[in-house]
Amino acid sequence: MRVLVIEDETKVGSFIKRALEEESYAVDLCEDGAKGLDMALATDYDLLVVDVMLPSMSGLDVVKNVRHERVQTPVLILSAQSQIDQRVKGLDAGADDYLTKPFAIDELLARVRALLRRGATESPGILQVDDLLLNPATRDVTRGGQRIELTLKEYALLEYLMRHAGRVLTRPMISEHVWNQDFDTFTNVIDVYVNYLRNKIDRGRTKKLIHTIRGSGYMLKAD
Amino acid sequence: MPLRVRLTLWYGSALALVLIIFSVILYAITARSLRDTVDESLEETAMTAVRSLEARGFLPLIDEEELLSQFPELTRIDKFFQIFTPSGTITIRSPNIKQHEVPLSRTALEASFTGQSTFESAKYPKEPPLRLISVPIMYRGNLLYIVQVGTSMESVGETLHRFLVLLVIAIPIALAVSLAGGWFLAGRALRPVDKITLAAQRIAAGDLSQRLSMPPAHDEIGRLAATFNNMIGRLDTSFRQIRQFTSDASHELRTPLTVMKGETDLILRRPRPIEDYKTVLESNLEEIDRMTRIVDELLFLSRADMGEVKVESLPVALEALVEDVHRQATLLGHDRDIEVVLGTIMPVIVQGDDLRLRELLLNLVENAMKYSHPGGKVEISLLKEGQEARLSITDHGIGIAPADHKKIFHRFFRTDVARAHTKKGTGLGLAICSWIADLHKGRVEVKSDLGQGSTFTVVLPLAPLQLSKV
Repeated sequence: MRVLVIEDETKVGSFIKRALEEESYAVDLCEDGAKGLDMALATDYDLLVVDVMLPSMSGLDVVKNVRHERVQTPVLILSAQSQIDQRVKGLDAGADDYLTKPFAIDELLARVRALLRRGATESPGILQVDDLLLNPATRDVTRGGQRIELTLKEYALLEYLMRHAGRVLTRPMISEHVWNQDFDTFTNVIDVYVNYLRNKIDRGRTKKLIHTIRGSGYMLKAD
Repeated sequence: MPLRVRLTLWYGSALALVLIIFSVILYAITARSLRDTVDESLEETAMTAVRSLEARGFLPLIDEEELLSQFPELTRIDKFFQIFTPSGTITIRSPNIKQHEVPLSRTALEASFTGQSTFESAKYPKEPPLRLISVPIMYRGNLLYIVQVGTSMESVGETLHRFLVLLVIAIPIALAVSLAGGWFLAGRALRPVDKITLAAQRIAAGDLSQRLSMPPAHDEIGRLAATFNNMIGRLDTSFRQIRQFTSDASHELRTPLTVMKGETDLILRRPRPIEDYKTVLESNLEEIDRMTRIVDELLFLSRADMGEVKVESLPVALEALVEDVHRQATLLGHDRDIEVVLGTIMPVIVQGDDLRLRELLLNLVENAMKYSHPGGKVEISLLKEGQEARLSITDHGIGIAPADHKKIFHRFFRTDVARAHTKKGTGLGLAICSWIADLHKGRVEVKSDLGQGSTFTVVLPLAPLQLSKV
């Protein structure tokens, strides 16, 4: 899951980025409204976290422009303004949720999970493909009742594959959603991580879930 | 008591008083003039009788038949006459008096001897009052006869009585009608006041955006409404300013709180290397400093607003102050690789508070350094121009767009460029500078453009001592 955080307070931006990264999200950070809008339109993010008071363009205008361009990415607004009319303005601009500063990290993460759940075609809290289960809230992964330990990146990759189970996911799609903008597209990092995942999920089982689609990418499916 | 009732009662009492006085006078005049008419007519009849007697050479009258045939006007039913001898005995009298004795009064008799006519009123039981005239007939200084003509005052009394009844009935009716009219008029005149009260109640309940609808006439009520609207407008503006200020202040305080809460929350989520905790604590310390600065400056400004900041008014040698601040700034600039230099410095004395002026200058110099690029130069100069001291601080830093020149003195305003350049500002420094300059009857001028650096000039009036020398 790839998240864009647009926040001009450097310290706030960086702790949000760190908190999200520790939850295996790929995070890009931007400190300017107009630049943030460009990034949101150029890349297919899974979630935007937008501060209201931003240089060059307010957070509300960023959201309005994003919606104007028919981009339906979920948006979480962050603001130091707690009054009801401010929240209403934020939500009316096209945001999906509103969080008042200061906030607890747990609440931020819970709201992010909730928004991502909504974004991924109304899927329930726990993702399931055949006997493979993934709980985004606890980040527990089990197959056939057996617990599987994953690294952050492996988990992020698996979550993305499971949220889009049954669909062919190209390497650029995977890199866009699982890695941030610092990712170097000319490496075979994706193939390496898919291999790690195969080792942990499919090895020793008769039913393989991760499929390679030659010439295109990968797909996670039950049969 | 409601104003409407009071107005109506006042109006009613005044009207009643006027009506009663008017009626009393009217009644008196009418009564008087009616009596005068009766008297005139009596006198005329008496004179006719006198003339008739004269015509007969004052010969003793034979009988009333003869007299009446000669003077038919004497037979009018409403009058009677009698002729007395000087001894007071009746010699002749008209027939319509036969049944009553109307003797000549003593006063009339006495007056007759001096040749004077007498008017009298007489009242007999069970009869209407009589009005009498007694006219003496003198011949060569001797009283021959006394002619008395009388008439009943019955019709006059009736007329006056009817008039009185009319007044007694008409006055209360007129009063009642006027009271009703007054009540209606007072209500009508006071209706706009009620409307204003209702609207004022609504506004007092918290909706300061409401205004009274203005009555079309530019009368007392119109002026009241206009004054009221004006007052609400000013309240609205100042409430809005306070709300804006509170909201800005809360926003500025929330940012460091967000950083502290977020970073602490995050670091405590799992065990971390000791360096991470140290980093967070150091960062928190920075935020605490930032909040302290904001709170201090807010407190200062709010005390300044309340007029609670003590300010000296003594001669201050600005050039000495500039040199002090320059020394201080040179040390600070050393760390940031910014050179602080002195330009032209003239000796100038202004009237004011040394500490506040120092704060003003230091604030501006620190700003200049804060928004300079590393390796930059900040120049301070002090000139005397006419009656003013001009203290300028010039930098070659990020600059300020002309559109923002006014706004930078607003509390909490920071340009986007300034925010992007440094997180250290509170947005209150220039508001404080401007307040200090105001206090010294001076001002702060800005010359700047984006990327071109800025020149802030503090213009202060010279101390009066120096003015006299110039």
